[in-house]
Amino acid sequence: MQPSKSTFGFLFSYMRPYRVTFLLFICCTLLAIAADLLQPYLVKIAIDNNLLIGTNDYRQLLIICSIYFGLSISSFLFTYLQNNLLQKAGQSIVARIRKDLFEHITKLSMSFFDRMPSGSLITHVSSDTETLNQFFTQVLLSVVRDGMTLIFIIVMMFQLDVTLALYCLILLPVIALIAIAFRTYMRKTYQASRTAYSRLIAFVAENLAGMNLIQAFHQEKEQQNQFTDRNQTYFRANLQEIRTNVVFNRTFDMLGSLSVAFVVWLGGEAVFHQSIEFGVLYAFITYIRQFFQPISTITQQWNTLQSTSVSVSRIWNIFSVPPEVKDAAVVRDLDLKQVKGRIDFDHIRFGYREGSPVIHDLDLHIRPGEMIGIVGTTGAGKSSLISLLCRFYDVNEGSITIDGVDIREIPQRQLHRIVGLVQQEPFLYSGSIVDNIRMFDESISREEVIRASRLVGADEIVRRMKHGYDTLLSERGSGLSAGERQLISFARIIVFQPKVLILDEATANLDSYTEQLIQKALNVVSEQRTTLVIAHRLSTILEADRIIVMRGGRIVEEGSHRQLLELHGYYEQFYLHSLGKMEAGAG
Amino acid sequence: MKAQQILRDYLTSKWYFYLTAILFIVAANIINSFFPRLLGRFTDQLDQGQMTQPVIVEYSLLLLAVGVSFAVLGGIGQYIVVRLGRLFEFVTRRKLFGHFTTLSEQFYSKNGVGKLLSYVMNDVTAVRESIAMGVNQTTNATITILSAMTMMLLSSIPLYLIGACVLPLAAIPWIVTGIGPVVRKRSLTVQDSLGKMTEAAEEQFGGIRVTKKFAVEPIMMRRFGAAVDQIRDNQLHLVRVSSLFQASIPFLGALSLVVTVAFGGYLTIHDRITLGNFVALTLYVRMMVNPLQQIGNVINTMQRSRASLERINELLAVKPDIQEVESSGSIDLRHAAIHIRNLSFSYPDSDRYALHNINLKIEPGKTVGIAGKTGSGKTTLMKLLLRVYDAPRGTIRFGEVDIRDLSLESLRSQISYVPQDGFLFSTTIRDNIAFYHRDTAFDRVEDAARKAQIYSNITEFPEQFETKLGERGITLSGGQRQRTSLARGIIKDSPIMILDDSVSAVDSITEKKIINMIRSERRNRTTLIIAHRVSALKHADEIVVLDEGRIVERGTHHELLAHQGIYATLHAIQEEGNSDAAL
Repeated sequence: MQPSKSTFGFLFSYMRPYRVTFLLFICCTLLAIAADLLQPYLVKIAIDNNLLIGTNDYRQLLIICSIYFGLSISSFLFTYLQNNLLQKAGQSIVARIRKDLFEHITKLSMSFFDRMPSGSLITHVSSDTETLNQFFTQVLLSVVRDGMTLIFIIVMMFQLDVTLALYCLILLPVIALIAIAFRTYMRKTYQASRTAYSRLIAFVAENLAGMNLIQAFHQEKEQQNQFTDRNQTYFRANLQEIRTNVVFNRTFDMLGSLSVAFVVWLGGEAVFHQSIEFGVLYAFITYIRQFFQPISTITQQWNTLQSTSVSVSRIWNIFSVPPEVKDAAVVRDLDLKQVKGRIDFDHIRFGYREGSPVIHDLDLHIRPGEMIGIVGTTGAGKSSLISLLCRFYDVNEGSITIDGVDIREIPQRQLHRIVGLVQQEPFLYSGSIVDNIRMFDESISREEVIRASRLVGADEIVRRMKHGYDTLLSERGSGLSAGERQLISFARIIVFQPKVLILDEATANLDSYTEQLIQKALNVVSEQRTTLVIAHRLSTILEADRIIVMRGGRIVEEGSHRQLLELHGYYEQFYLHSLGKMEAGAG
Repeated sequence: MKAQQILRDYLTSKWYFYLTAILFIVAANIINSFFPRLLGRFTDQLDQGQMTQPVIVEYSLLLLAVGVSFAVLGGIGQYIVVRLGRLFEFVTRRKLFGHFTTLSEQFYSKNGVGKLLSYVMNDVTAVRESIAMGVNQTTNATITILSAMTMMLLSSIPLYLIGACVLPLAAIPWIVTGIGPVVRKRSLTVQDSLGKMTEAAEEQFGGIRVTKKFAVEPIMMRRFGAAVDQIRDNQLHLVRVSSLFQASIPFLGALSLVVTVAFGGYLTIHDRITLGNFVALTLYVRMMVNPLQQIGNVINTMQRSRASLERINELLAVKPDIQEVESSGSIDLRHAAIHIRNLSFSYPDSDRYALHNINLKIEPGKTVGIAGKTGSGKTTLMKLLLRVYDAPRGTIRFGEVDIRDLSLESLRSQISYVPQDGFLFSTTIRDNIAFYHRDTAFDRVEDAARKAQIYSNITEFPEQFETKLGERGITLSGGQRQRTSLARGIIKDSPIMILDDSVSAVDSITEKKIINMIRSERRNRTTLIIAHRVSALKHADEIVVLDEGRIVERGTHHELLAHQGIYATLHAIQEEGNSDAAL
């Protein structure tokens, strides 16, 4: 892929604030390479002006040595400075990009997260930006340092002897050709072996995770064979890569020897015919040997440059996704405390994709403080309804209003504070329990957190833990049971006081005992709030003020549990299924 | 044990390859050390005016020959060594994986996947690098230094001059081993902070709904920003030492050259050495900078990899907890009753009994339901039946045979187990369902999918049964995973089936269908069902209620309801409103 202008333009816009640092870096590089490059020239002067002529002027020799010594010290200092400057600029840029990228992603709408697996987002934020880091610390460094070294050497060679230098330049296109031909092939072998390696590791990771199953099904041999296949593939791909590398490096070495031989021959003749001095030949031989190192290093950067351009365009792609759900140009601020919690779904229609609607002309009006149960099979549109109320998506037709205000006119941040959501899988962050309950918002006091936990019955459980509220949760609360996690997420709701509360299958996956505990907490939480409960276990919603039965994106029945049973319709069927009475009726 | 010496074994079995490689490298380096000498002689002849045109051509050809032989011989040697290293990696990884398949759950509960993966990735790589690098670079460096020294001595350069010139270089290995570990420590900190940021990103994107719902984006951004800044700080901390390191080695090289030019030049002026020797000396000094750095590197790598090697050897020495007795045999479980007698069990490393004096006899062909809350010992009992852990001898028998006298193959191939989590592999759906026999006929796979109520979901995917699951494929919902896992159990069609809360994430209508299917499918075959929901248990021939590791109630559905105990309470909670719906 060719790096396109616009994507790199974006990178340069991040580099612009650091242009002074980059300029300093280039100056430092120049000073840093000087000592190494002037050494052959200085020795040449020593040879030609002192040793060869036999002037026995030791003082001049000492001067040359002192100059060289001084250069070495400055080289030492500036190499150090050069690295630090470059890293400082590079790291700051990468950190800025990471933060901006993260901020941009958080602002995107839920539809984006539904489309984009979180795994690849993580790759963008961590690996792709790390590639950028390599771009600065390797590519840029090498291009500047090795590029200048190369130019420097060429200049020195011309300075020493134009004819000999011109002969040496014949080499350049040959080297370039070999390098390019090899690098393309090397990139292929490199990628093949990386892919094989990540497949191998992914396979081991998965098999370790599923080892109990492999053993229970007695599949150890079969899995071992599959492993060996992947291991073998990697081994072969790897050898291929190594072979290419070795051949390339050795070809370069031989090319180096060839050019030295060439210089000795031509230069020797020249010295023989006394058209140049011996010192010049010495310097030439040394320079031509130094000539290959920077070329080899620069061509090595080609790989990184390629992956940088891929990474940059991937990052740019993310940056260019606009949030689908946006705040309206004119927003209406609601006073959070004054919100009553009346919700009206007015003839809404919605589909995730055009042409496949999931909600058809749905009309639903909910009184402040009412508790609504929503029932239906998977795909009936329950969760879509909830997503629309949270404004994870915008309706295609109709409107949703809270206290008569269209939710599209409410700033999203306010809307999210008004409408609270508890999901089936409560999500906990790594951090202390108290921070998890107040969502790291330090303006919420510890006392408030404890009060909330007490209300939902989480206090007792938390206190039993070793460090109480300061217990650090590892790996998103893996040490807690599903019920305990859910109780903590209920405490969150109490702390944040949303006026409308949605429980999306919040009690699934729990055993009956924990479910009872949660049920109690639910009663506390739903007090004085408009509450919408989705459940496939009907026991949770029997006490709802109203139950909405959904089917195929429509409300097919509604009423209290008793009213609905009297209808002898879809709800009754549903209810009987859940009781396991179906068979009694049929048989 | 043999595993204790994985590296020694490998090296001894391949010693002739290594010897060959070393010979190649030695030859290459000896030849290479002629390079400065040739140039020195060339200089002297030029200087003394003995040069003729054919001699010039001869010298340039000689130099070319030296360069090419060095490249070719060295290249072959290097390739052999590197290949051997990779082969070591291959062999060791295979050994590790094989070893992993023999280790039991007890081991896995103590060692996370991340930790075990690091054996396969980092430790193996570290050892491989150290042997490949060790052999290559040590040989290279030793020979280069030795032959450079010999050449210098042979070319009548006085010893004291050589000593003085080489002196600054002697500091190189010292610096490498001194700063090297610091660089490494700091770069590990960088890696660590990178990992932390990835974790933070993982967490944030996983919990994006929650973050958005609580409108705490700025707080989360700050948290993430802190992780990002930490990386930058650690990187800059690293570069401070690493650039010192990078700068100091060329500096020492330059220092040596200063001495060489000053001292050597002085001697040349006073005609104590020839100009040719002076030229050769400068080249030899340059030649020795790299090998000295290599020796330092080798020392560092060796130190790092010794720990890795020990870790690998320790891991390979872990004995599987579950081992077959020598006389283990097989029996047909179709006609064998399961006898559980006075079974008490506590997990290793735990002083609490998970199961207490369990007595249960399951006649062949019967269905037994097991109820109880989380932590009551239901799953533990299943694990003992599958011999995931060892029950005390004499407590579990199949027919007349103790479970410990059965071969693992005989036991596990006759029990089909459907776990709660519905773990699936990242292969095709078909391979997942036909996990027990990958080459099962396709119609049987379809049949199993139909029975597990997953068929219609699968056929909705564009590639149907060939759909890939996992990271590079699609993700199934919890209920779909459970049903696929159920199909995997059904297709095995074994004498004994264990369903460990296998339909918990399935909606009630589908659950009903599945329970009916299991009843007809498993008619007259031994089936154990663990469930939270009464609806999944009520048809069992016997229902056992566990509480805190003891059997507290047992009987049929109706008997237990009449008993008014835990089961009846469970029933009441789950079927609340039953009286309202009385028909």
